Amino acid sequence: MKSFAVLFKNELKLNIRNMNMVIFAVIMPLIVLVILGLLYGTKPAADGVEYTFMEQSIGGLCTISICAGGLMGLPLLVSEYRERKILKRFRVTPVSPIKLLAVEFSIYVMYCLVSMITLIPMAMIFWKVTIYGSWLAFLGSWLLTMISTLSIGMMVGGIAKNTKSASVIASLLYFPMLIFSGTTIPLEVMPETMQKIVNVFPITLGIQLMKTTFLGLPVNHIYLPVIVMGTVTVLCTVISIKYFKWE
Amino acid sequence: MENVIKVDQLSKTYGNLLAVDHISISVKRGTVFGLLGANGAGKSTTIECILGTKEADQGQVSILGYHPQKDRHTLFQKVGVQFQESTYQPEIKVSELCEETACLYKHPADWRELCNQFGIGNMINKAVKSLSGGERQRLFIVLALIPNPEIVFLDELTTGLDAKARRDVWRILSDLKEKGLTIFLTSHFMDEVEALCDEICILQKGKIVFYGTVEQAKAVCGCEKFEDAYLKLSGEEVLGE
Repeated sequence: MKSFAVLFKNELKLNIRNMNMVIFAVIMPLIVLVILGLLYGTKPAADGVEYTFMEQSIGGLCTISICAGGLMGLPLLVSEYRERKILKRFRVTPVSPIKLLAVEFSIYVMYCLVSMITLIPMAMIFWKVTIYGSWLAFLGSWLLTMISTLSIGMMVGGIAKNTKSASVIASLLYFPMLIFSGTTIPLEVMPETMQKIVNVFPITLGIQLMKTTFLGLPVNHIYLPVIVMGTVTVLCTVISIKYFKWE
Repeated sequence: MENVIKVDQLSKTYGNLLAVDHISISVKRGTVFGLLGANGAGKSTTIECILGTKEADQGQVSILGYHPQKDRHTLFQKVGVQFQESTYQPEIKVSELCEETACLYKHPADWRELCNQFGIGNMINKAVKSLSGGERQRLFIVLALIPNPEIVFLDELTTGLDAKARRDVWRILSDLKEKGLTIFLTSHFMDEVEALCDEICILQKGKIVFYGTVEQAKAVCGCEKFEDAYLKLSGEEVLGE
């Protein structure tokens, strides 16, 4: 456990020093929050609903960091460490691949956590956002969304041939998910056909679940998102451990 | 004395190129073994096949009785490695790299002490990338010694070091050898090999062309200087002499 803690501390320091994730996973969600806040203030999400637009958007905002970490940060880091032969050096030490992956995984969990605990209080203070549903259900859906997305990233980093292909795959996943899955642009403002298409993204299911649990709306299809995200998590984790390559 | 490294009929090909050709080596505990040869003779490939970072096509390897790939977790508690190319995280500092390495072992050496010994004690707060080539080389020897290893593999030990630093490294390694450390090294400096190695093996195109002591090499060739003997044995003899 001690080695996990030391690795975590040092790798987190390195990651923060790099600044990419600080910008894309912590600062950017706050900027989007402020823009949405200035645009919509405390207006209701639609005519005749009790919750505000901002309350409806919280789930989506919390996934900006999840996308940045899981679909950009983590896959690029893992493939970079392989390409720069940093993993090769670890290979001639007693450390297990699972521990290394777990350390890097946890670092991105930290970013997602920081992003969430800055977004929600800020939204509460400035735009009177309140949670109508249950915190526990909301946190559960957040956790599931995060873990499933990060495991996708871990797998991409694990199986991509080199940093270049990891970066291409990451961009192909990151940008569509960021733009069309309801993270930055709410799903509700998209055309209906578009909504149907993006509904196959696990992250879209996650965002919908977070939104439902935050707003306290009746959850109709809890099994579908849970099963999809759970399967994605298990599958990607197994693949990234089984096909882990040091070089 | 016990053989701590045993390599039997090791072979490795890259496409059509036979990089390592049926090499057999055994290294006794507490000795220094030097693997020599020109660039491209197969030294690094041999080391990597021994360590299991490259898959050999053929042959058996045992280090301290362990299989380098199957028993990697146990084996690398006791073995330190310095690869030819030093690799590190882009923004990492010396102290962080040492700390991160030390935390992986059950009984690590005091890395600050090692840095002091190797003359980089005042560099620990610097970024690794800002070190000079020689300082970085010394840092990677330190990293290989952090595990308090029973065996250390040093690929191109003192490349990039100045004369004084090389002597310092020799002295430290000789001291460690006195305490029972086994050293497996490659080097292009024959004075260094002569000063340190108990046994040497010269490779040419992946084949062993000489295996024995420095004195034996000199005797075989009838050369007074070991460097001349080496050049003769490795087939690198300077034309026109």
